[in-house]
Amino acid sequence: MFGLIGHSTSFEDAKRKASILGFDHIADGDLDVWCTAPPQLVENVEVKSATGISIEGSYIDSCFVPEMLSRFKTARRKVLNAMELAQKKGINITALGGFTSIIFENFNLLQHKQIRNTSLEWERFTTGNTHTAWVICRQLEVNAPRIGIDLKKATVAVIGATGDIGSAVCRWLINKTGISELLMVARQQEPLALLQKELDGGTIKSLDEALPQADIVVWVASLPKTIEIDSDNLKKPCLMIDGGYPKNLDEKFQGENIHVLKGGIVEFFNDIGWNMMELAEMQNPQREMFACFAEAMILEFEKCHTNFSWGRNNISLEKMEFIGSASLKHGFSAIGLDKQPKVLTV
Amino acid sequence: MHNEQKITNMQTLESNKKSTEKSINPISLNLPDFTTDSYKDAYSRINAIVIEGEQEAHDNYISIATLIPNELEELTKLARMEMKHKKGFTACGRNLGVVADMEFAKKFFSKLHGNFQIALEKGNLTTCLLIQAILIEAFAISAYNVYIRVADPFAKKITEGVVKDEYLHLNYGQEWLKKNLSSCKEELMEANKVNLPLIKKMLDEVAEDASVLAMDREELMEEFMIAYQDTLMEIGLDNREIARMAMAAIV
Repeated sequence: MFGLIGHSTSFEDAKRKASILGFDHIADGDLDVWCTAPPQLVENVEVKSATGISIEGSYIDSCFVPEMLSRFKTARRKVLNAMELAQKKGINITALGGFTSIIFENFNLLQHKQIRNTSLEWERFTTGNTHTAWVICRQLEVNAPRIGIDLKKATVAVIGATGDIGSAVCRWLINKTGISELLMVARQQEPLALLQKELDGGTIKSLDEALPQADIVVWVASLPKTIEIDSDNLKKPCLMIDGGYPKNLDEKFQGENIHVLKGGIVEFFNDIGWNMMELAEMQNPQREMFACFAEAMILEFEKCHTNFSWGRNNISLEKMEFIGSASLKHGFSAIGLDKQPKVLTV
Repeated sequence: MHNEQKITNMQTLESNKKSTEKSINPISLNLPDFTTDSYKDAYSRINAIVIEGEQEAHDNYISIATLIPNELEELTKLARMEMKHKKGFTACGRNLGVVADMEFAKKFFSKLHGNFQIALEKGNLTTCLLIQAILIEAFAISAYNVYIRVADPFAKKITEGVVKDEYLHLNYGQEWLKKNLSSCKEELMEANKVNLPLIKKMLDEVAEDASVLAMDREELMEEFMIAYQDTLMEIGLDNREIARMAMAAIV
Protein backbone atom coordinates (compact mmCIF):
# COMPACT_ATOMS: atom_id res chain seq x y z
CA MET A 1 0.00 0.00 0.00
CA PHE A 2 1.05 3.57 -0.66
CA GLY A 3 -0.03 6.59 1.34
CA LEU A 4 -0.29 10.30 0.72
CA ILE A 5 -0.31 12.80 3.56
CA GLY A 6 -1.79 16.08 2.42
CA HIS A 7 -3.52 19.14 3.80
CA SER A 8 -5.66 22.03 2.65
CA THR A 9 -4.17 25.19 1.23
CA SER A 10 -6.01 27.42 3.71
CA PHE A 11 -8.32 27.24 6.71
CA GLU A 12 -11.29 28.39 4.64
CA ASP A 13 -10.53 25.77 2.01
CA ALA A 14 -10.21 23.09 4.69
CA LYS A 15 -13.65 23.91 6.12
CA ARG A 16 -15.18 23.77 2.67
CA LYS A 17 -13.61 20.36 1.99
CA ALA A 18 -14.65 19.00 5.39
CA SER A 19 -18.19 20.02 4.68
CA ILE A 20 -18.16 18.28 1.28
CA LEU A 21 -16.77 15.13 2.89
CA GLY A 22 -19.39 15.17 5.66
CA PHE A 23 -17.00 15.99 8.52
CA ASP A 24 -19.45 18.52 9.93
CA HIS A 25 -17.94 18.67 13.39
CA ILE A 26 -14.73 20.19 12.12
CA ALA A 27 -16.29 21.97 9.14
CA ASP A 28 -18.21 24.12 11.62
CA GLY A 29 -15.34 24.46 14.07
CA ASP A 30 -12.97 27.38 14.52
CA LEU A 31 -9.20 27.12 14.17
CA ASP A 32 -8.91 25.85 17.77
CA VAL A 33 -11.16 22.91 16.92
CA TRP A 34 -8.99 22.14 13.91
CA CYS A 35 -5.92 22.27 16.13
CA THR A 36 -7.39 19.42 18.19
CA ALA A 37 -8.75 17.41 15.25
CA PRO A 38 -7.17 14.01 14.62
CA PRO A 39 -5.77 13.17 11.17
CA GLN A 40 -8.36 11.64 8.85
CA LEU A 41 -7.98 8.83 6.38
CA VAL A 42 -10.36 10.26 3.81
CA GLU A 43 -9.99 8.07 0.77
CA ASN A 44 -8.84 4.65 -0.40
CA VAL A 45 -7.96 4.16 -4.02
CA GLU A 46 -6.75 1.48 -6.41
CA VAL A 47 -4.30 2.50 -9.14
CA LYS A 48 -3.27 0.45 -12.15
CA SER A 49 0.12 1.15 -13.73
CA ALA A 50 0.72 1.33 -17.48
CA THR A 51 2.51 -1.99 -17.00
CA GLY A 52 -0.69 -3.55 -15.64
CA ILE A 53 0.34 -3.76 -11.96
CA SER A 54 -2.38 -2.75 -9.49
CA ILE A 55 -1.68 -1.13 -6.14
CA GLU A 56 -3.83 0.22 -3.34
CA GLY A 57 -3.37 3.41 -1.45
CA SER A 58 -4.87 5.87 1.02
CA TYR A 59 -5.07 9.62 1.28
CA ILE A 60 -4.65 11.02 4.78
CA ASP A 61 -5.50 14.63 5.57
CA SER A 62 -3.39 15.73 8.51
CA CYS A 63 -5.94 18.46 9.40
CA PHE A 64 -3.01 20.88 9.26
CA VAL A 65 -3.66 24.22 7.60
CA PRO A 66 -1.02 26.85 6.78
CA GLU A 67 -2.57 29.16 9.40
CA MET A 68 -1.05 26.78 11.99
CA LEU A 69 2.53 27.51 10.91
CA SER A 70 2.87 30.03 13.72
CA ARG A 71 1.91 27.36 16.28
CA PHE A 72 4.90 25.10 16.02
CA LYS A 73 3.72 22.56 18.59
CA THR A 74 0.43 22.18 16.76
CA ALA A 75 2.12 21.86 13.37
CA ARG A 76 4.51 19.28 14.77
CA ARG A 77 1.68 17.23 16.25
CA LYS A 78 -0.32 17.34 13.01
CA VAL A 79 2.57 15.92 11.01
CA LEU A 80 3.55 13.26 13.55
CA ASN A 81 -0.04 12.15 14.16
CA ALA A 82 -0.69 11.79 10.43
CA MET A 83 2.50 9.75 10.08
CA GLU A 84 1.46 7.57 13.01
CA LEU A 85 -1.93 6.96 11.39
CA ALA A 86 -0.26 5.97 8.10
CA GLN A 87 1.96 3.50 9.91
CA LYS A 88 -0.89 2.11 12.01
CA LYS A 89 -2.83 1.48 8.80
CA GLY A 90 0.08 -0.67 7.64
CA ILE A 91 0.98 1.57 4.71
CA ASN A 92 4.37 0.63 3.26
CA ILE A 93 5.40 3.92 1.76
CA THR A 94 3.83 7.33 2.41
CA ALA A 95 4.69 10.65 0.78
CA LEU A 96 4.78 13.77 2.92
CA GLY A 97 2.91 16.35 0.86
CA GLY A 98 2.75 20.15 0.94
CA PHE A 99 4.06 21.65 4.17
CA THR A 100 4.32 18.21 5.79
CA SER A 101 7.89 17.52 4.70
CA ILE A 102 8.88 21.15 5.26
CA ILE A 103 7.64 21.00 8.87
CA PHE A 104 9.32 17.64 9.33
CA GLU A 105 12.62 19.07 8.16
CA ASN A 106 12.46 22.51 9.78
CA PHE A 107 11.22 21.30 13.15
CA ASN A 108 13.65 18.40 13.10
CA LEU A 109 10.98 15.81 13.79
CA LEU A 110 13.50 12.98 13.52
CA GLN A 111 13.83 13.59 17.26
CA HIS A 112 10.23 12.46 17.79
CA LYS A 113 10.26 8.82 16.83
CA GLN A 114 7.95 7.63 19.59
CA ILE A 115 4.32 8.65 19.12
CA ARG A 116 2.19 7.18 21.91
CA ASN A 117 2.59 3.40 21.56
CA THR A 118 3.93 3.63 18.01
CA SER A 119 7.60 3.86 17.18
CA LEU A 120 7.70 5.57 13.80
CA GLU A 121 9.61 3.63 11.16
CA TRP A 122 11.22 6.23 8.90
CA GLU A 123 11.67 3.73 6.08
CA ARG A 124 7.90 3.92 5.57
CA PHE A 125 8.06 7.59 4.54
CA THR A 126 9.44 9.66 1.71
CA THR A 127 9.50 13.39 1.07
CA GLY A 128 9.04 12.67 -2.63
CA ASN A 129 11.67 15.30 -3.41
CA THR A 130 13.70 13.08 -5.79
CA HIS A 131 10.77 12.70 -8.14
CA THR A 132 9.82 16.37 -7.77
CA ALA A 133 13.38 17.41 -8.71
CA TRP A 134 13.43 15.00 -11.67
CA VAL A 135 10.04 16.25 -12.89
CA ILE A 136 11.13 19.90 -12.67
CA CYS A 137 14.25 19.10 -14.73
CA ARG A 138 12.16 17.20 -17.23
CA GLN A 139 9.71 20.12 -17.50
CA LEU A 140 12.64 22.42 -18.16
CA GLU A 141 14.18 20.19 -20.83
CA VAL A 142 10.91 19.58 -22.67
CA ASN A 143 9.29 23.02 -22.48
CA ALA A 144 12.19 25.41 -23.04
CA PRO A 145 12.68 24.40 -26.70
CA ARG A 146 8.92 24.74 -27.25
CA ILE A 147 9.09 28.48 -26.60
CA GLY A 148 12.26 28.95 -28.61
CA ILE A 149 14.91 28.58 -25.92
CA ASP A 150 17.92 26.53 -27.04
CA LEU A 151 19.16 24.72 -23.95
CA LYS A 152 22.76 24.70 -25.18
CA LYS A 153 22.72 28.49 -25.20
CA ALA A 154 20.46 28.97 -22.19
CA THR A 155 21.26 30.55 -18.87
CA VAL A 156 19.28 28.91 -16.07
CA ALA A 157 18.79 30.49 -12.65
CA VAL A 158 17.81 28.27 -9.71
CA ILE A 159 16.26 30.26 -6.87
CA GLY A 160 16.60 28.31 -3.64
CA ALA A 161 19.59 26.42 -4.98
CA THR A 162 20.80 25.03 -1.67
CA GLY A 163 17.59 23.29 -0.63
CA ASP A 164 16.95 19.59 -1.11
CA ILE A 165 15.18 20.00 -4.45
CA GLY A 166 17.19 23.04 -5.54
CA SER A 167 20.55 21.34 -5.13
CA ALA A 168 19.29 18.22 -6.94
CA VAL A 169 18.07 20.37 -9.84
CA CYS A 170 21.46 22.14 -10.02
CA ARG A 171 23.27 18.78 -9.97
CA TRP A 172 21.13 17.48 -12.83
CA LEU A 173 21.39 20.67 -14.90
CA ILE A 174 25.19 20.75 -14.71
CA ASN A 175 25.70 17.07 -15.38
CA LYS A 176 22.87 16.09 -17.68
CA THR A 177 21.61 18.95 -19.80
CA GLY A 178 24.51 20.83 -21.39
CA ILE A 179 23.01 24.23 -20.52
CA SER A 180 25.25 27.19 -21.17
CA GLU A 181 25.27 28.67 -17.67
CA LEU A 182 23.85 27.94 -14.24
CA LEU A 183 23.16 30.79 -11.82
CA MET A 184 22.59 29.78 -8.23
CA VAL A 185 20.62 31.96 -5.82
CA ALA A 186 19.99 31.32 -2.14
CA ARG A 187 19.80 33.33 1.07
CA GLN A 188 22.69 31.64 2.81
CA GLN A 189 26.07 32.06 1.19
CA GLU A 190 27.99 29.29 2.93
CA PRO A 191 25.94 26.35 1.61
CA LEU A 192 26.00 28.02 -1.81
CA ALA A 193 29.79 28.02 -1.83
CA LEU A 194 29.79 24.35 -0.77
CA LEU A 195 27.36 23.47 -3.54
CA GLN A 196 29.48 25.31 -6.10
CA LYS A 197 32.49 23.36 -4.92
CA GLU A 198 30.63 20.05 -5.11
CA LEU A 199 29.31 20.77 -8.60
CA ASP A 200 32.59 22.28 -9.78
CA GLY A 201 30.42 24.74 -11.68
CA GLY A 202 27.62 27.26 -11.47
CA THR A 203 27.86 30.94 -10.62
CA ILE A 204 26.63 32.41 -7.34
CA LYS A 205 24.38 35.40 -7.88
CA SER A 206 21.93 37.57 -6.03
CA LEU A 207 18.29 37.44 -7.11
CA ASP A 208 18.52 40.90 -8.70
CA GLU A 209 21.60 39.93 -10.68
CA ALA A 210 20.29 36.55 -11.80
CA LEU A 211 16.80 37.41 -13.05
CA PRO A 212 17.72 39.71 -15.98
CA GLN A 213 20.31 37.19 -17.21
CA ALA A 214 18.18 34.06 -17.10
CA ASP A 215 16.33 32.44 -19.99
CA ILE A 216 14.87 29.96 -17.56
CA VAL A 217 14.16 30.48 -13.85
CA VAL A 218 13.47 27.54 -11.56
CA TRP A 219 11.83 28.66 -8.31
CA VAL A 220 12.08 26.24 -5.44
CA ALA A 221 11.78 28.95 -2.83
CA SER A 222 9.32 31.71 -3.49
CA LEU A 223 9.49 35.42 -3.41
CA PRO A 224 9.26 37.51 -0.29
CA LYS A 225 5.77 39.02 -0.29
CA THR A 226 7.07 42.54 -0.54
CA ILE A 227 9.36 42.09 -3.50
CA GLU A 228 8.46 43.80 -6.76
CA ILE A 229 9.99 42.58 -9.97
CA ASP A 230 9.84 44.56 -13.15
CA SER A 231 8.93 42.15 -15.93
CA ASP A 232 10.62 44.48 -18.41
CA ASN A 233 13.96 43.44 -16.93
CA LEU A 234 13.39 39.77 -17.75
CA LYS A 235 14.62 38.11 -20.90
CA LYS A 236 12.03 37.32 -23.56
CA PRO A 237 11.14 34.57 -23.98
CA CYS A 238 11.49 33.47 -20.39
CA LEU A 239 10.40 30.16 -18.85
CA MET A 240 9.50 30.31 -15.18
CA ILE A 241 9.05 27.00 -13.39
CA ASP A 242 7.17 27.33 -10.10
CA GLY A 243 8.53 24.46 -8.05
CA GLY A 244 7.73 25.91 -4.62
CA TYR A 245 4.74 25.41 -2.40
CA PRO A 246 2.12 26.82 -2.55
CA LYS A 247 2.20 27.63 -6.25
CA ASN A 248 1.49 31.30 -6.76
CA LEU A 249 4.28 32.53 -8.97
CA ASP A 250 1.94 33.51 -11.78
CA GLU A 251 0.61 36.25 -9.52
CA LYS A 252 4.04 37.88 -9.51
CA PHE A 253 5.04 37.68 -13.11
CA GLN A 254 3.04 39.04 -15.95
CA GLY A 255 4.23 40.05 -19.36
CA GLU A 256 4.40 39.04 -22.94
CA ASN A 257 6.48 35.95 -23.58
CA ILE A 258 6.84 35.10 -19.94
CA HIS A 259 5.74 31.50 -19.55
CA VAL A 260 4.90 30.33 -16.05
CA LEU A 261 4.71 26.56 -15.57
CA LYS A 262 3.54 24.79 -12.43
CA GLY A 263 6.59 22.80 -11.45
CA GLY A 264 6.63 19.33 -9.97
CA ILE A 265 3.18 18.31 -11.20
CA VAL A 266 2.67 15.08 -13.10
CA GLU A 267 -0.14 13.55 -15.09
CA PHE A 268 -1.07 9.88 -14.97
CA PHE A 269 -1.98 8.13 -18.24
CA ASN A 270 -5.39 7.04 -16.94
CA ASP A 271 -8.19 8.38 -14.76
CA ILE A 272 -7.58 7.41 -11.13
CA GLY A 273 -11.11 7.72 -9.78
CA TRP A 274 -10.33 9.64 -6.61
CA ASN A 275 -11.66 12.88 -5.18
CA MET A 276 -8.67 14.27 -3.37
CA MET A 277 -6.89 15.94 -6.25
CA GLU A 278 -10.09 17.75 -7.11
CA LEU A 279 -9.87 19.22 -3.67
CA ALA A 280 -6.19 20.01 -4.31
CA GLU A 281 -7.43 22.12 -7.24
CA MET A 282 -5.54 20.34 -9.96
CA GLN A 283 -6.56 21.25 -13.48
CA ASN A 284 -7.28 17.65 -14.39
CA PRO A 285 -7.89 16.16 -10.94
CA GLN A 286 -8.48 12.60 -12.14
CA ARG A 287 -4.95 12.45 -13.56
CA GLU A 288 -2.81 15.27 -12.17
CA MET A 289 -1.01 15.23 -8.86
CA PHE A 290 2.06 16.50 -7.08
CA ALA A 291 5.18 14.61 -8.12
CA CYS A 292 5.94 13.84 -4.49
CA PHE A 293 2.68 11.90 -4.20
CA ALA A 294 3.48 10.08 -7.43
CA GLU A 295 6.82 9.06 -5.90
CA ALA A 296 5.02 7.02 -3.23
CA MET A 297 2.98 5.31 -5.96
CA ILE A 298 6.06 4.61 -8.07
CA LEU A 299 7.91 3.15 -5.08
CA GLU A 300 4.90 0.92 -4.37
CA PHE A 301 4.69 -0.15 -8.03
CA GLU A 302 8.40 -1.01 -7.86
CA LYS A 303 8.00 -2.69 -4.43
CA CYS A 304 10.76 -0.37 -3.32
CA HIS A 305 9.73 0.05 0.30
CA THR A 306 12.31 2.48 1.58
CA ASN A 307 12.54 6.13 2.56
CA PHE A 308 13.79 6.90 -0.92
CA SER A 309 13.90 10.68 -0.46
CA TRP A 310 15.00 11.52 3.05
CA GLY A 311 17.08 14.16 4.80
CA ARG A 312 18.69 17.06 3.03
CA ASN A 313 20.90 16.99 -0.05
CA ASN A 314 20.89 13.23 -0.44
CA ILE A 315 19.41 13.26 -3.95
CA SER A 316 21.92 11.71 -6.32
CA LEU A 317 21.79 11.62 -10.13
CA GLU A 318 21.39 7.85 -9.94
CA LYS A 319 18.33 8.16 -7.75
CA MET A 320 16.84 10.75 -10.08
CA GLU A 321 17.45 8.48 -13.05
CA PHE A 322 15.89 5.52 -11.25
CA ILE A 323 12.74 7.36 -10.20
CA GLY A 324 12.50 9.11 -13.59
CA SER A 325 12.61 5.95 -15.63
CA ALA A 326 10.17 4.20 -13.26
CA SER A 327 7.89 7.24 -13.50
CA LEU A 328 7.72 6.98 -17.30
CA LYS A 329 7.38 3.19 -17.19
CA HIS A 330 4.31 3.30 -14.95
CA GLY A 331 2.54 5.99 -16.94
CA PHE A 332 3.42 9.35 -15.40
CA SER A 333 4.42 12.37 -17.45
CA ALA A 334 5.42 15.87 -16.35
CA ILE A 335 2.80 18.49 -17.20
CA GLY A 336 3.91 20.96 -19.84
CA LEU A 337 2.97 24.35 -21.17
CA ASP A 338 0.38 22.85 -23.51
CA LYS A 339 -1.44 21.33 -20.53
CA GLN A 340 -1.24 24.40 -18.47
CA PRO A 341 -0.96 27.39 -20.77
CA LYS A 342 -0.24 30.16 -18.33
CA VAL A 343 1.23 32.50 -20.91
CA LEU A 344 0.41 35.81 -19.46
CA THR A 345 0.11 38.65 -21.85
CA VAL A 346 -0.73 42.15 -20.80
CA MET B 1 6.69 17.34 -1.58
CA HIS B 2 8.04 19.99 -2.24
CA ASN B 3 10.00 21.65 -1.60
CA GLU B 4 11.65 24.37 -0.36
CA GLN B 5 9.37 26.35 1.72
CA LYS B 6 8.26 29.64 0.48
CA ILE B 7 10.09 32.61 1.84
CA THR B 8 6.78 34.31 2.58
CA ASN B 9 6.04 31.62 5.10
CA MET B 10 9.63 31.20 6.16
CA GLN B 11 9.33 34.20 8.42
CA THR B 12 6.80 32.40 10.56
CA LEU B 13 8.82 29.23 10.69
CA GLU B 14 12.06 31.07 11.27
CA SER B 15 10.60 33.06 14.11
CA ASN B 16 9.85 29.77 15.81
CA LYS B 17 13.30 28.44 15.33
CA LYS B 18 14.51 29.17 18.81
CA SER B 19 11.67 27.43 20.53
CA THR B 20 11.92 24.56 18.08
CA GLU B 21 15.53 24.05 18.88
CA LYS B 22 14.66 24.04 22.53
CA SER B 23 12.03 21.38 21.97
CA ILE B 24 14.41 19.00 20.30
CA ASN B 25 16.88 19.05 23.12
CA PRO B 26 16.66 16.29 25.69
CA ILE B 27 13.16 16.23 27.04
CA SER B 28 14.38 16.90 30.57
CA LEU B 29 15.11 20.50 29.62
CA ASN B 30 11.41 21.09 29.08
CA LEU B 31 10.28 19.63 32.36
CA PRO B 32 8.57 21.89 34.86
CA ASP B 33 10.00 22.48 38.33
CA PHE B 34 8.27 19.81 40.44
CA THR B 35 9.23 21.47 43.70
CA THR B 36 7.39 24.79 43.41
CA ASP B 37 4.27 25.53 45.45
CA SER B 38 2.26 26.26 42.32
CA TYR B 39 3.22 22.88 40.82
CA LYS B 40 2.31 21.06 44.03
CA ASP B 41 -0.95 22.97 44.36
CA ALA B 42 -2.04 22.03 40.83
CA TYR B 43 -0.76 18.49 41.33
CA SER B 44 -2.94 18.06 44.43
CA ARG B 45 -6.02 18.31 42.20
CA ILE B 46 -4.72 16.50 39.11
CA ASN B 47 -3.32 13.66 41.22
CA ALA B 48 -6.65 13.41 43.06
CA ILE B 49 -8.54 13.20 39.76
CA VAL B 50 -6.31 10.36 38.62
CA ILE B 51 -6.65 8.48 41.93
CA GLU B 52 -10.43 8.98 41.99
CA GLY B 53 -10.61 8.03 38.29
CA GLU B 54 -8.90 4.70 38.98
CA GLN B 55 -11.20 4.05 41.96
CA GLU B 56 -14.28 4.87 39.84
CA ALA B 57 -12.97 2.57 37.12
CA HIS B 58 -12.56 -0.25 39.62
CA ASP B 59 -16.08 0.22 40.96
CA ASN B 60 -17.56 0.58 37.48
CA TYR B 61 -16.02 -2.66 36.17
CA ILE B 62 -17.34 -4.52 39.21
CA SER B 63 -20.79 -2.98 38.56
CA ILE B 64 -20.69 -3.85 34.86
CA ALA B 65 -20.10 -7.47 35.86
CA THR B 66 -23.53 -7.50 37.49
CA LEU B 67 -25.02 -6.87 34.02
CA ILE B 68 -22.90 -9.53 32.30
CA PRO B 69 -22.21 -12.17 34.96
CA ASN B 70 -20.43 -14.49 32.53
CA GLU B 71 -17.75 -11.79 32.14
CA LEU B 72 -17.20 -11.60 35.89
CA GLU B 73 -13.74 -13.11 35.82
CA GLU B 74 -12.42 -10.83 33.08
CA LEU B 75 -14.02 -7.72 34.58
CA THR B 76 -12.67 -8.51 38.03
CA LYS B 77 -9.22 -8.76 36.47
CA LEU B 78 -9.63 -5.30 34.91
CA ALA B 79 -10.93 -3.90 38.20
CA ARG B 80 -7.90 -5.27 40.07
CA MET B 81 -5.58 -3.57 37.60
CA GLU B 82 -7.33 -0.26 38.27
CA MET B 83 -6.67 -0.63 42.00
CA LYS B 84 -3.03 -1.29 41.25
CA HIS B 85 -2.97 1.91 39.20
CA LYS B 86 -4.58 3.81 42.07
CA LYS B 87 -1.82 2.70 44.38
CA GLY B 88 0.80 3.71 41.82
CA PHE B 89 -0.62 7.20 41.44
CA THR B 90 -1.03 7.60 45.19
CA ALA B 91 2.69 6.90 45.44
CA CYS B 92 3.37 9.57 42.79
CA GLY B 93 1.67 12.21 44.95
CA ARG B 94 3.47 11.03 48.06
CA ASN B 95 6.77 11.14 46.21
CA LEU B 96 6.28 14.84 45.53
CA GLY B 97 5.00 15.53 49.04
CA VAL B 98 1.51 16.37 47.79
CA VAL B 99 -1.78 15.61 49.53
CA ALA B 100 -4.41 14.78 46.95
CA ASP B 101 -7.58 16.91 47.10
CA MET B 102 -10.06 14.02 47.00
CA GLU B 103 -13.06 16.19 47.67
CA PHE B 104 -12.38 18.14 44.51
CA ALA B 105 -11.93 14.90 42.54
CA LYS B 106 -15.22 13.40 43.72
CA LYS B 107 -17.04 16.54 42.60
CA PHE B 108 -15.11 16.48 39.33
CA PHE B 109 -16.45 13.01 38.49
CA SER B 110 -19.91 13.46 40.02
CA LYS B 111 -21.92 14.06 36.84
CA LEU B 112 -20.34 11.24 34.89
CA HIS B 113 -20.61 9.05 38.00
CA GLY B 114 -24.31 9.92 38.22
CA ASN B 115 -24.93 9.09 34.57
CA PHE B 116 -23.18 5.76 35.00
CA GLN B 117 -25.30 4.90 38.05
CA ILE B 118 -28.54 5.75 36.23
CA ALA B 119 -27.51 3.58 33.26
CA LEU B 120 -26.55 0.77 35.64
CA GLU B 121 -29.91 0.87 37.40
CA LYS B 122 -31.69 0.74 34.06
CA GLY B 123 -29.47 -2.09 32.91
CA ASN B 124 -28.17 -0.03 29.98
CA LEU B 125 -24.98 -1.97 29.41
CA THR B 126 -24.00 -0.10 26.23
CA THR B 127 -24.13 3.23 28.06
CA CYS B 128 -22.15 1.82 30.98
CA LEU B 129 -19.47 0.50 28.63
CA LEU B 130 -19.33 3.73 26.66
CA ILE B 131 -18.89 5.80 29.80
CA GLN B 132 -16.32 3.60 31.51
CA ALA B 133 -14.56 1.47 28.93
CA ILE B 134 -14.51 4.02 26.11
CA LEU B 135 -14.86 7.62 27.32
CA ILE B 136 -13.08 7.37 30.67
CA GLU B 137 -10.39 5.05 29.31
CA ALA B 138 -9.77 7.27 26.25
CA PHE B 139 -9.67 10.30 28.56
CA ALA B 140 -7.17 8.54 30.82
CA ILE B 141 -5.02 7.33 27.93
CA SER B 142 -4.84 10.79 26.39
CA ALA B 143 -4.02 12.47 29.69
CA TYR B 144 -1.41 9.85 30.57
CA ASN B 145 0.20 10.08 27.13
CA VAL B 146 0.55 13.83 27.50
CA TYR B 147 1.65 13.54 31.15
CA ILE B 148 4.39 11.01 30.37
CA ARG B 149 6.18 13.66 28.31
CA VAL B 150 6.37 16.11 31.24
CA ALA B 151 6.20 13.93 34.36
CA ASP B 152 8.84 13.61 37.07
CA PRO B 153 10.97 10.49 36.56
CA PHE B 154 9.17 8.45 39.23
CA ALA B 155 5.67 9.28 37.96
CA LYS B 156 6.79 8.81 34.37
CA LYS B 157 7.75 5.21 35.04
CA ILE B 158 4.51 4.46 36.88
CA THR B 159 2.38 6.14 34.18
CA GLU B 160 4.13 4.30 31.35
CA GLY B 161 3.13 1.02 32.98
CA VAL B 162 -0.43 2.18 33.56
CA VAL B 163 -1.06 3.42 30.03
CA LYS B 164 -0.26 -0.01 28.61
CA ASP B 165 -2.98 -1.53 30.81
CA GLU B 166 -5.48 1.18 29.90
CA TYR B 167 -5.19 0.29 26.22
CA LEU B 168 -6.27 -3.25 27.21
CA HIS B 169 -9.30 -1.85 29.02
CA LEU B 170 -10.25 0.33 26.07
CA ASN B 171 -9.91 -2.74 23.94
CA TYR B 172 -12.30 -4.67 26.20
CA GLY B 173 -15.16 -2.20 25.73
CA GLN B 174 -14.31 -1.82 22.08
CA GLU B 175 -14.54 -5.54 21.38
CA TRP B 176 -17.86 -5.93 23.18
CA LEU B 177 -19.42 -3.00 21.35
CA LYS B 178 -18.00 -4.24 18.05
CA LYS B 179 -19.61 -7.64 18.54
CA ASN B 180 -22.95 -6.12 19.47
CA LEU B 181 -22.89 -3.04 17.24
CA SER B 182 -26.04 -3.84 15.30
CA SER B 183 -28.14 -4.00 18.46
CA CYS B 184 -26.43 -1.24 20.45
CA LYS B 185 -25.72 1.48 17.89
CA GLU B 186 -28.69 3.66 18.75
CA GLU B 187 -27.98 3.57 22.46
CA LEU B 188 -24.29 4.21 21.77
CA MET B 189 -25.09 7.36 19.80
CA GLU B 190 -27.48 8.61 22.48
CA ALA B 191 -25.05 7.88 25.31
CA ASN B 192 -22.33 9.70 23.39
CA LYS B 193 -24.53 12.73 22.94
CA VAL B 194 -25.14 12.97 26.67
CA ASN B 195 -21.69 12.08 27.96
CA LEU B 196 -19.11 13.36 25.48
CA PRO B 197 -19.90 17.01 26.37
CA LEU B 198 -19.20 16.10 30.00
CA ILE B 199 -15.72 14.90 29.05
CA LYS B 200 -15.12 18.17 27.22
CA LYS B 201 -16.29 20.13 30.27
CA MET B 202 -14.07 18.06 32.57
CA LEU B 203 -11.12 18.76 30.30
CA ASP B 204 -11.85 22.49 30.34
CA GLU B 205 -12.20 22.44 34.10
CA VAL B 206 -8.80 20.89 34.57
CA ALA B 207 -7.01 22.82 31.82
CA GLU B 208 -5.54 25.51 34.03
CA ASP B 209 -4.06 23.06 36.54
CA ALA B 210 -2.85 20.85 33.70
CA SER B 211 -1.00 23.78 32.13
CA VAL B 212 0.91 24.29 35.40
CA LEU B 213 2.06 20.69 34.93
CA ALA B 214 3.12 21.66 31.38
CA MET B 215 0.23 19.73 29.87
CA ASP B 216 -1.30 21.68 27.02
CA ARG B 217 -5.12 21.80 26.76
CA GLU B 218 -5.04 21.63 22.98
CA GLU B 219 -2.78 18.59 23.07
CA LEU B 220 -4.97 16.88 25.69
CA MET B 221 -8.08 17.40 23.59
CA GLU B 222 -6.36 16.20 20.43
CA GLU B 223 -5.01 13.09 22.16
CA PHE B 224 -8.49 12.34 23.46
CA MET B 225 -10.07 12.78 20.02
CA ILE B 226 -7.45 10.48 18.50
CA ALA B 227 -8.03 7.72 21.07
CA TYR B 228 -11.80 8.16 20.84
CA GLN B 229 -11.89 8.22 17.04
CA ASP B 230 -9.62 5.16 16.80
CA THR B 231 -11.91 3.25 19.13
CA LEU B 232 -15.11 4.18 17.32
CA MET B 233 -13.46 3.22 14.05
CA GLU B 234 -12.50 -0.18 15.51
CA ILE B 235 -16.03 -0.67 16.80
CA GLY B 236 -17.14 -0.40 13.19
CA LEU B 237 -18.57 3.08 12.81
CA ASP B 238 -17.82 4.95 9.59
CA ASN B 239 -16.23 8.37 9.15
CA ARG B 240 -19.50 10.24 8.95
CA GLU B 241 -21.00 8.55 12.01
CA ILE B 242 -17.85 9.34 13.96
CA ALA B 243 -17.97 12.91 12.72
CA ARG B 244 -21.55 13.21 13.98
CA MET B 245 -20.59 11.75 17.33
CA ALA B 246 -17.55 13.99 17.67
CA MET B 247 -19.81 16.99 17.00
CA ALA B 248 -21.12 16.60 20.56
CA ALA B 249 -17.69 17.60 21.83
CA ILE B 250 -17.77 21.05 20.29
CA VAL B 251 -21.36 22.08 20.90
